[in-house]
Amino acid sequence: MIGVRRIARTVAAALLVLLGGLPAARAHETRPAYLELKETASGRFSVIWRTPVLAGMRLPVALKLPDGVRNVEEPRVQELPDSLLERRSVDAGPAGLAGQRIEFPGLQLTITDVLVRIERLDGTRSTELVRPSRPFLEVVAPRGTLATINVFLAQGIEHILLGVDHLLFVLGLLAIVRTPWMLVKTITAFTVAHSITLAIATLGYASVPAPPLNVAIALSILFLGPEIVRAWRGETSFTIRHPWVVAFAFGLLHGFGFASGLAALGLPQNEIPLALLAFNVGVEVGQLAFVALILLLVRALKVLQVHWPRPVALLPAYAVGSLGAFWTIQRLVLMVEGG
Amino acid sequence: MRTPLENRPLIALSLAGLPSQARAHLVETGLGPVYDGIAHFAMTPEDLIPVFALAVFAGLRGRDHARRVIFMLPLAWLLAGLLGAAARISQPESLSWVPLLVLGGLVAADVRLPAAATTAIAAAVGLFLGLANGDAMAQAGSGVRGVVGIVGAVFVVTILGAACTVAWQSGWLRIAWRVAGSWIAAVGLLLLGWSLR
Repeated sequence: MIGVRRIARTVAAALLVLLGGLPAARAHETRPAYLELKETASGRFSVIWRTPVLAGMRLPVALKLPDGVRNVEEPRVQELPDSLLERRSVDAGPAGLAGQRIEFPGLQLTITDVLVRIERLDGTRSTELVRPSRPFLEVVAPRGTLATINVFLAQGIEHILLGVDHLLFVLGLLAIVRTPWMLVKTITAFTVAHSITLAIATLGYASVPAPPLNVAIALSILFLGPEIVRAWRGETSFTIRHPWVVAFAFGLLHGFGFASGLAALGLPQNEIPLALLAFNVGVEVGQLAFVALILLLVRALKVLQVHWPRPVALLPAYAVGSLGAFWTIQRLVLMVEGG
Repeated sequence: MRTPLENRPLIALSLAGLPSQARAHLVETGLGPVYDGIAHFAMTPEDLIPVFALAVFAGLRGRDHARRVIFMLPLAWLLAGLLGAAARISQPESLSWVPLLVLGGLVAADVRLPAAATTAIAAAVGLFLGLANGDAMAQAGSGVRGVVGIVGAVFVVTILGAACTVAWQSGWLRIAWRVAGSWIAAVGLLLLGWSLR
């Protein structure tokens, strides 16, 4: 028994050492940049170019408008807590921007995207997502609502797949639940809770500052580590008996996290409901895919009768707990430092 | 003295051994190198199909074989992938279809091998394919994290494939797996022939 504890302690220590080499991990480090082009007169556009800032560093992405476009008004840069906002007016000539290419030099070196929203004089709008693999946009005629849904659906899936902390929390919940019915209740509670706060925050009814929110999300993961160990030892607790309550409570926090990913885009009010719906569906699709994969793997390992040595069996619990502790400390330090 | 006709297999094999530009289905998902690695594996039939075939073969042989393969294959793949990414070792393109032919043939024939032999095959397949993957990931700039993504995907496909085969192999299902193996071997033979043309 002592040997097992020693091994488990060693593994946990090794994990912490490994974690020391990881970059600052946050749920929203992949916030996209945002470009808004609003046609104010024929061929004239007001430009909003917003690039996220992480720990004082601006995302290394530039905006390069087509050659024929000239500034009517010089760029004005405003520093926000989490981003740099650049505004200006440009003249693209009588033909406007249709058929022209907007480039984003430097985007190919990042893992984030640029969300481009174009609003024309006739009231038509289009929203496009520019990815690092194709760091430019060919401006075409508007594609309507379906294209907007596609963009935000993809953003939702991407947000959850890159949100390691959200996935780790879901993994922790899966490790605690004991029956299929409890699993359905727990995942549903988490989904309902984060959908509520995602909607509330995105529609502007409430907001939580990012630094304490990130600390609280990390704490929710840390909280699950000991609970998983307790559950696997056959012990019980309120969380083990009612994991859906914990899922609901912490789900409210995670929803604010999702919302900051969407709200950071600075979308106009009239497009937010559609974007919110598509984004939330994207998050659920990604989350359910993750849950399905984990359940399939667990089932497959049972079929193959794989019996793990006890220290290895406890690894997920220690991984969840260690990462939760690491992120809590890291984010706390960032919060205190004002990062 | 050998006639030109007798030398033909030798010539074909020599040609197959000639190194050529490694073919890589390099995928950029926009989600980072780990996901790029997963997507690369999912979009590369010469990687995905042999892994599935090996999982089926191990599953047909029983739980003991399957348990050995689900750990040996990703481990060998990881080691070779890291080596391939560091040393940039490319392989002859035509050889990439050989595992399909061999593993498909093993499944189709339902060959009874000892567990140690199955483990050795898993190690060989992992080393062979992992080496090429490491080079491809280095080319794509995904490096070690890309290899980690691939190995994760290999682990998942192997576990799911082996578990399905272990669970569903009574009666006609076993024949169905073997038929699938014969198709894999046929595809491997076809593509090997095509690459040697």
